[in-house]
Amino acid sequence: MAEKVSSGSRGKPIRCRAAVCRKPGEPLVIEEIVVAPPMPHEVRIRIIYTSLCHSDIVFWKMKDFPGIFPIILGHEAIGVVESVGEDVNEVSEGDTVIPTFMAECGECRDCKSTKSNLCSSSELPFKVSPFMPRYGTSRFTDLNGETLYHFLCVSSFSEYTVIDIAHVTKIDSGIPLSKAAGLLGCGVSTGVGAAWRTAKVEPGSTVAIFGLGSIGLAVAEGARLCGATRIIGVDVNQDKFEVGKKFGLTDFVNAANSENKSASEVIIEMTDGGADYCFECVGMASVVQEAYACCRKGWGKTIVLGVDKPGSQVSIPSASILCTGKSLMGVLFGGLKPKSDIPILLNRYINKELQLDEFITHEVTFEDINKAFDLLIEGKCLRCVICMNDQ
Amino acid sequence: MAERVCGGSRGKSIRCRAAVCRRPSEPLVIEEIIVAPPMPREVRIRVISTSVCHSDILFWRIKDFAAAMFPRILGHEAVGVVESVGEDVNEVSEGDTVIPTFLAECGECRDCKSPKSNLCSKLPFKSSRTAPFMPRYGTSRFTDLNGEAIYHFLSVSSFSEYTVVDIAHVTKIDSGIPLSKAAGLLGCGVSTGFGAACRTANVEPGSTVAIFGLGSVGLAVAEGARLCGATRIIGVDVNEDKFEVGKKFGLTDFVKAANSENKSASESIIEMTDGGADYCFECVGMASLVQEAYACCRKGWGKTIVLGVDKPGSQVIISSSDILTTGKSLTGVIFGGLKPKSDIPILLNRYINKELQLDEFVTHEVTFEDINKAFDLLIEGKSLRCVICMNDQ
Repeated sequence: MAEKVSSGSRGKPIRCRAAVCRKPGEPLVIEEIVVAPPMPHEVRIRIIYTSLCHSDIVFWKMKDFPGIFPIILGHEAIGVVESVGEDVNEVSEGDTVIPTFMAECGECRDCKSTKSNLCSSSELPFKVSPFMPRYGTSRFTDLNGETLYHFLCVSSFSEYTVIDIAHVTKIDSGIPLSKAAGLLGCGVSTGVGAAWRTAKVEPGSTVAIFGLGSIGLAVAEGARLCGATRIIGVDVNQDKFEVGKKFGLTDFVNAANSENKSASEVIIEMTDGGADYCFECVGMASVVQEAYACCRKGWGKTIVLGVDKPGSQVSIPSASILCTGKSLMGVLFGGLKPKSDIPILLNRYINKELQLDEFITHEVTFEDINKAFDLLIEGKCLRCVICMNDQ
Repeated sequence: MAERVCGGSRGKSIRCRAAVCRRPSEPLVIEEIIVAPPMPREVRIRVISTSVCHSDILFWRIKDFAAAMFPRILGHEAVGVVESVGEDVNEVSEGDTVIPTFLAECGECRDCKSPKSNLCSKLPFKSSRTAPFMPRYGTSRFTDLNGEAIYHFLSVSSFSEYTVVDIAHVTKIDSGIPLSKAAGLLGCGVSTGFGAACRTANVEPGSTVAIFGLGSVGLAVAEGARLCGATRIIGVDVNEDKFEVGKKFGLTDFVKAANSENKSASESIIEMTDGGADYCFECVGMASLVQEAYACCRKGWGKTIVLGVDKPGSQVIISSSDILTTGKSLTGVIFGGLKPKSDIPILLNRYINKELQLDEFVTHEVTFEDINKAFDLLIEGKSLRCVICMNDQ
């Protein structure tokens, strides 16, 4: 049971529960850990809700580098500031915040440009690091004093975590803290942003989405909000069509139905030449290649969102690159800047324009966190929210 | 010697000289051929000057793949005068100055009507076949004196005193503009490079640009980037002499490729630009260079644009993680993303107004008889554009 949040814990280590992953692919173990106080430019946060994302699964299973253990996974969450380190003015104790794997220092060339969301602050470039980004050290130890590794600068599968201020987005105090808001820390922002900000889907567009997990359906939601008239979903699971309709899906292609034609051939046919925008939301090079094949020549854009295993490569014929006018790009966090854009999306949710609650298909308590893994692996959920609050 | 252009040849076959490629990599043979009159929607053109482009060389040499077709009349960059038109041609008349292009613009299809595409879908460009016939009928207008059909090339076939071109592949030049050798360069190379910089990449003032391959296309990219206000234009080539040549087109820096003692060109570029160039252009036609160009464009917003024509079957390979986490984009484009009929006249005007350099690309001139010298010069890397003057007066 976590120690009560009070000014009494400020500056001291906190003893609390975390779901520790000690070996690749094995159930997480709820155990007591010690969370050090935040260093300068860091914030210690009490997690209220967190959710499981496919990227957690990818690293949970990873036996070789960059997989590293024991680790506290989780990177999509919402919480409350328990205390701040020195030189933190942006947030105060009690603020509602959403931590993100993406940094926004606000000062580097990329943060100042509208064309990039890849913060290039020398201490904070995006990399899969097992430590706090600014110091290269961990704030977590187990009861034997052994270091526990961080994950993507968030580590939200813990009652308390420590996050660098560049990875913290403050939520306006007038907005009630909700489970759904945590989804903006990764999945929904990634998908909606990709359609809205990266692709800049225009009204009347035709969009194809490969992979109808939360990210793919968030792309659909974003494309719907942008006025796309045709949103084609591709998945091996036929049930995803019904689920997808509420997010704007107008058509469905079953990728497992490969008797005569590939999904891309079907899409080229049904769109008379290809989709204006194709999104890959699975994380497989072969699917990236398929998405590229069925985006329309002339102006088609293929956008990659899925996280593939390390070492994977995409191969495209030179003649296709040269002669079709198609473009290929990938994007993290949908091209959004967390601190600037999460509040915008949150407002759209509050105003009932953007759907968030509909992504939550299951809820479990912290003790049952491994059920969330099972549900996602079996393809039975979109977002399963893990409720940390023990009151 | 070509028969005189006059109303007398209208509707009839013309007997004239052409530089025929009969076997891969062998010198072209100047021989007499017969050029049939234009079918409906076609235009027969007397070529005034033409130039050799690297793509001519590529398909001159090719032995394998479906693209190897002989005998063939190569050449696709030229300027000429309309000798006669087929039925249903209203856009040009006899005597008009025209520039034929390998890229069509029908003006009616969805792509032609969109500002976002220059890939006409009515008469699509098919790189694998390189257009061995007239696009609308699938037949040839050329026969040799034995009656054997000669293949067309890229819908143009300009290495001939007369050629027949589909109206969708013909750009009319305003009659007030004097016909010049340099204008022909807008039929391919210079438009490709210039358009890639200004239209496709839309280079902004203050940008940093890196160009892999400093042939005419690469230097035309530099020229375009210069006119768009790029402040740093880095050229990469195996030939150091290209730096001096390139300076007149705006090159500010040079990196020698293949200097693999310590660093690759892309590593040098990343270092000298503190992270990578805003725009990288591949103007050679090699997958490994596309990959290098991609490696040294800046993360966050960098764009890599492919202009070079690689051999059929070539593949570009990029790591999935780079695609996802760098925010870079990869695009290819033909004819610089330009629409021939709309954009060639614009570029020609900029040339007339002395804003856009064209003459500076013409480093050599030969007569038609010496066309094989133009091939030699380009293969040896000694020329940018060698213009072949067809006019025998």
